[in-house]
Amino acid sequence: MNEASAPNLVMSPAAPADVELPSRRQAKIDVRNLDFYYGDVQALTSVNLSLEEKQVTAIIGPSGCGKSTLLRAMNRIYELYPEQRAKGEILIDGENILDRGYSLSALRRRVGMVFQKPTPFASSIRNNVGFALNFFERLSRSEANNRIENALRQAALWDEVKDRLSASALSLSGGQQQRLCIARTIAIRPEIILLDEPTSALDPIATARIEELIDELREQFTIVIVTHNMQQAARVSQNTAFFHLGEMVEYGATSTIFTNPLEERTKDYITGRYG
Amino acid sequence: MNRTILRRRIVDILALVLATAATLFGLVWLVWILFTTFVQGAKAVSPALFTEMTPPPGSAGGLLNAFYGSAMMMLLAVAVGTPVGIAAGTYLAEHGRHSKLAATVRFINDILLSAPSIVIGLFVYEIAVRTAGHFSGYAGALALAIILLPIVVRTSEESLRLVPNQMREAAFALGLPRWKLTIQLIYKAAMTGLVTGTLLAVARISGETAPLLFTALNNQFWNANLARPMANIPVILYKYAMSPYDNWIELAWAGALILTLFVLLLNIGVRLLTHKVLKR
Repeated sequence: MNEASAPNLVMSPAAPADVELPSRRQAKIDVRNLDFYYGDVQALTSVNLSLEEKQVTAIIGPSGCGKSTLLRAMNRIYELYPEQRAKGEILIDGENILDRGYSLSALRRRVGMVFQKPTPFASSIRNNVGFALNFFERLSRSEANNRIENALRQAALWDEVKDRLSASALSLSGGQQQRLCIARTIAIRPEIILLDEPTSALDPIATARIEELIDELREQFTIVIVTHNMQQAARVSQNTAFFHLGEMVEYGATSTIFTNPLEERTKDYITGRYG
Repeated sequence: MNRTILRRRIVDILALVLATAATLFGLVWLVWILFTTFVQGAKAVSPALFTEMTPPPGSAGGLLNAFYGSAMMMLLAVAVGTPVGIAAGTYLAEHGRHSKLAATVRFINDILLSAPSIVIGLFVYEIAVRTAGHFSGYAGALALAIILLPIVVRTSEESLRLVPNQMREAAFALGLPRWKLTIQLIYKAAMTGLVTGTLLAVARISGETAPLLFTALNNQFWNANLARPMANIPVILYKYAMSPYDNWIELAWAGALILTLFVLLLNIGVRLLTHKVLKR
């Protein structure tokens, strides 16, 4: 069933069919003919995209091009809003997660998401990380504490909070809150992490820390990051997809997209002519 | 001076004077009511008010049985009405937000919200008093619960809607089910609003007289049994204030004062709560 294990060919109406990805890793996520609607407004038009396992894929493009929409389709968070709907297929390891029968709870355990604004729960730092963890798994207190510590270490937050795990998460700085949200997400051991402009509300130092973190997390997770910041895309990602007006214009290795784009529109965007 | 500017200034002053006068006119009555209640009520407030039963005409007594009856019926009304109201508010804000059923429920709730309380009293009289054959505290509590319910539904829906969607998205993105989200995160975030709505509803039912006349009626004696007619402050006020006996009229004033203070305290509590939220 998993055709994506064949060499990765990127098919898009706008892109030449022979663009091949640099590496031939296994595809983790395979988006096929995805259309997305907000009520009557179409936000994505037949998007085809396959994302490699344990790599960082950046999605760039001007505001309103549908990049966040694509991300929100990958964990079906859009279903919170009844007027939004997706058509097409998104295969994760060959299974169509847009299928009505696919368990949302299972999907969201596999696919974690971190939002633009930090969204800590009004509770202690420990509870923020342990909340979902304790819900899904029956852990003893020491096991849970271990998992919380590991998640906080992975999110490069442990040293800053280890002495005040009972303090309110709201007392942390914006950058710390965002790393806490990342810790909370990786604590339940997802396979894929979706990052929706995770640093746009943060200062440059906090941004640099999160970028380092993304690079480290790549060893374990498949990461998709939506960003407005092209330097960021160039720094953290291996592959980049450029979206414009709800269509995928170009997709390839980050180095190629930024130095030698094939499409005129990509070139214009990257050189700052619009967006 | 320029004529236009002069004219504008005169109109401005006139408008200010009229607006101030209207405000004062409104305030005078309010202050007068409070002042009279305090002066007349303070004369009759004594420890006996809270320790003795309602007296027969001409002898001394208190309002203990009426306070107790009011408290019990209000507690029961809150115990029944609040969970139902919050659950309905949760449905409207979280589950059925855009559904047809929710729109219908909202519409009917608004009608109930503005229904005359005497109609509710008559309704409960028909279903709970006539069928049982006698007046009872339970019937009174039911009538109060029906008045309280739409207020709680409305305020809880509004305070739940104030919780930003980001929090719902964050919890869903972790794979948590909706009930877990609602009970442990949304209620916590909306707690102040939920409590405020309930307190306001309690203030509203504390003075309701008409529905209790039809349901709990009154009781001259101590009665802790909700299945029997129960004394309560509003009906006692109604009965004693209209009576020709001086000691009854005095007790009515004292009861009015306590009731006013109770509502005042509830409102101050609500103020403090909302203030705390704004500061946070």
